[in-house]
Amino acid sequence: MADTVIQVENLSKVYRLGTIGTGSLRQDLQRWWTTAFLGKEDPFFKLDSNGEQSIENQKQALWALQNLSFDVKQGEVLGIIGSNGSGKSTLLKIISRIVKPTKGHVRGRGKVSSLLEVGTGFHQELSGRENIYISGYVLGMNKEEIRRKFDAIVAFSGIEKFIDTPVKRYSSGMYVRLAFAVAAHLEPDILIVDEVLAVGDAEFQKKCLGKMQEVSQTEGRTILFVSHSMQAVQSLCNKALWLDKGKMKEIGEVSRVVNKYISGVQKFQLSQEWANPEEAPGNDRIRFKQVELRPVLNNANDPVDIRVPLLVKLALWNMADEVNLSINLVLFSYSGECIFDLPSENIKCSKGLVEGEVTIPGNFLNDGSYYISLYVVKDTSVPLFTFEECLSFDLEDFRGDIQWFGKWWGAVRPKFPFRLEQPDLILQADS
Amino acid sequence: MAVFSKEEWDWEIRSRTSWLGTRAGELWAYRHLLAGMVRRDFLLNYQQTVLGPLWILFQPVMTLITYVFVFGKMIGISTGAIPPVLFYLSGIVLWNFFHDGFMATSTTFRANADIFSKVYFPRLIMPLSQLSTHFIRFLFQLVLLFLVLAYYIVFEQMAVPLTPWLIGVPFLILMTGTIALSLGLLFSVITAKYRDMINLVSMGIRLLMFLTPVLYPIGYVSENIRWVVQLNPLTPIFEAFRFGLLGEGYVTPIQLIYSLIFTLVLFSVSLLMFNKQGDKLIDVV
Repeated sequence: MADTVIQVENLSKVYRLGTIGTGSLRQDLQRWWTTAFLGKEDPFFKLDSNGEQSIENQKQALWALQNLSFDVKQGEVLGIIGSNGSGKSTLLKIISRIVKPTKGHVRGRGKVSSLLEVGTGFHQELSGRENIYISGYVLGMNKEEIRRKFDAIVAFSGIEKFIDTPVKRYSSGMYVRLAFAVAAHLEPDILIVDEVLAVGDAEFQKKCLGKMQEVSQTEGRTILFVSHSMQAVQSLCNKALWLDKGKMKEIGEVSRVVNKYISGVQKFQLSQEWANPEEAPGNDRIRFKQVELRPVLNNANDPVDIRVPLLVKLALWNMADEVNLSINLVLFSYSGECIFDLPSENIKCSKGLVEGEVTIPGNFLNDGSYYISLYVVKDTSVPLFTFEECLSFDLEDFRGDIQWFGKWWGAVRPKFPFRLEQPDLILQADS
Repeated sequence: MAVFSKEEWDWEIRSRTSWLGTRAGELWAYRHLLAGMVRRDFLLNYQQTVLGPLWILFQPVMTLITYVFVFGKMIGISTGAIPPVLFYLSGIVLWNFFHDGFMATSTTFRANADIFSKVYFPRLIMPLSQLSTHFIRFLFQLVLLFLVLAYYIVFEQMAVPLTPWLIGVPFLILMTGTIALSLGLLFSVITAKYRDMINLVSMGIRLLMFLTPVLYPIGYVSENIRWVVQLNPLTPIFEAFRFGLLGEGYVTPIQLIYSLIFTLVLFSVSLLMFNKQGDKLIDVV
């Protein structure tokens, strides 16, 4: 069994909201007196006997982490996932020794390097060469180490020509490449990485992930990795920790945790139904009875990703006799762009229930958040009623074998057959 | 499977900070960072400038000319047996070291909030590197002082008695640096918590100069208010500095011991304060 290199026990971190400190010098002095000299609890910040905060303090306090305990073994690549504000970055900052926990402790073995930002210690006015040294020192390397790796760092960054140019004249891509190149040549026992892959172009991202993979697999390093990209987490990590509002929700084998996370955080306005027409949305001609969106899944616990077909069902009460009705399903991206406007058949309806159903195929929409509005139209031209944003859903990303983790472009992401072949004629290299 | 006891962990992070903070070994491990920061400061200040490092000498020379003109010629403060140029230059050089060292370290947390919140290293490295930068600048200015002194000895036949006090000069410089660093550490914590204090700091240090024998010899102050100036622990250091280098200054061993004790107490208190508060301040700045 592998050795434990990080042990986190009952870790909690509280941030006080609002004023800096307690707000006044007098209160600060009073607090200082009671905590430092009398050895008592902070009078402005009491915990009751259960270790919970008293009610009046809860308003000003934010528990970024609450009683977190877990172990990390040597060579593990632990992905830390969770929505914004779930405490991921706070956890990394505590393990990196940047902030102090409020309660609990972290113990560990070996040298820790953290990469919470690309280009820590970089200065715009200095040349690339100088910045490699400064940044290296800041990240904990010594002079000899940097000298030894200098050529490798420059080669990795691919900016040999500009190494003596001040970095303020670099393009942002070059800047990021150089900064990451320094970080990639750290040789800590434990590496802590926070979402640094969000920057940089595709080729460089691939290079970085490759480097991290290499470091963890061949050299037995331990990596803690925070990312919003489930794809990156799944391909890089072998274990995942899911944080939710500062508490540990799940820890374990990566794909199990990631799948649970995805199906847990996806938000759906999946179905709405009204029992009687009086309360239903609509007007004197049309009342909606039901709208429903149902992902067509093979297994009920699977995440809803871009491969999954979506079945939309609707039912409405038609109040007028002898009308030609059609319905337009309009799909918007979360930012309000219209992705498509799909008209139904036009049928002659008498008073009573009208039902409809349509399937949005899998492998068609890009990942992201969407909402659907329904437009009821008479005689294919006269709008009768618009049911705005009646359904909303998230689609998760799925990349399969694709080793690239940037945001996929495009409003849609169709999957047509795209053939490549080599004709028989093979060009011979000039010898 | 190995079972580890507490002692086998390399490091531990707890909510309480020890008063002593960083271990000396850890500071030593980051010595390259300190050197790199000093190098960075010099590169940043003097690349793309016409005069380059000559700027280090420009400021004291201009100040010297002003002081000699205003205090020597216009007001006519007597500088005793020491030529006014040497008198003012020695005061300016030592005061600049104190002033710059203090001002640079007193904004440690505010100036480095960004980097402190992204990566760990012993926080003390930053003020130490600032002080080192200003120490190097001070050395350049000290060379200027020696050159001027040599000029007076060779061409003006000025007699400078060689006293054992000359050996004490490096210690006086060390004391000045320590007071500057200590006050800087103390105020770096205060200015990070209460931002408006920075105004008070720059005003306070300007006023402090008038209570330090930079512009006048201590003997020039009338007897009944001399104690005010002598209460300033920098006063004996400045007088002893002039006495050691130029052969004239008024200081007693008791006064120097007073300064030394003050320095040691201030240094311990501010170091403890800096270490204890340093970790908490990251949440605040």
